[in-house]
Amino acid sequence: MTLATATGPHLFWITSRAAGIAALLLSSLAVCLGLAMGGRLAPRLSKSDLRVTHEALSLATLAALAVHGLSLLGDGYLHPSLADVAVPFLFGYETFWTTAGIVAFWMLAALGLSYYLRARIGVRRWRALHRLTALAWALGVAHSLGEGTDSGQQWFLVMTALAVVPVLALLAARLLGVLADTSEQLEQKA
Amino acid sequence: MTPDQAQRIARRRKAALRERARHIRVIVASLSATFFVTAFLVVYVQLASGHDPALLATERHATSELASRSTELEGNENPSPSKSSSSSSEASSAEEPTTLTTSQS
Repeated sequence: MTLATATGPHLFWITSRAAGIAALLLSSLAVCLGLAMGGRLAPRLSKSDLRVTHEALSLATLAALAVHGLSLLGDGYLHPSLADVAVPFLFGYETFWTTAGIVAFWMLAALGLSYYLRARIGVRRWRALHRLTALAWALGVAHSLGEGTDSGQQWFLVMTALAVVPVLALLAARLLGVLADTSEQLEQKA
Repeated sequence: MTPDQAQRIARRRKAALRERARHIRVIVASLSATFFVTAFLVVYVQLASGHDPALLATERHATSELASRSTELEGNENPSPSKSSSSSSEASSAEEPTTLTTSQS
């Protein structure tokens, strides 16, 4: 087999890229399921099964994102510090897109893990906050397309489209449903 | 149904739900591992075969820099029209991977 590039020095970088791709797919699945559950469009599964699947996918996304950021610490080319990959606007490399990724991660972590505090927060308030997860996911997708090393590759674009299109369709259905519900309520009030 | 029987049924149902949740978590963990390993292999093979988009861009940048530098140097040393052929041969030799850890085996 002919190897054109020694991969040894790039293992941390490859790990980070692979974890980022896994996070993109897992977060898309989690958001998809969340939207389907919220819009009562979920497949024929019991409510508890859907909730457990959504929760597991969300935790797997956070784990993949942690690997995505932390493995960069070992990269010999970028040499980022822990603050560089955790604090927005600090890293000199592609500052805007890196910040988008960092903000998306913290939003996903806060909104996802707040599930365990929903009794304290209040279920209604928590639900309203949890809707922002779609925004955090969109920010993550923008980060992957804006900064991702593979973002110009055909396989990556096809994979991203396969992950993103169903979420956008469900999001549109949800928003249209909400709009329809609101206009019905307004008509009933009138 | 006695209260004891009802409690037993409830306990069994609870255990079944817990088992199902564990099963789902195992499936999601396996799916995550599959995504990660597949992505790792794709990126690894891409890099190992010399088709990595980032390294190709760096290589192209280094090649063009080398070519322009060699043209500049030749322009200073021998400003005759015949230099174009030698500079192009140097530029083509500069197209071989120069920067980063590239090697052919």
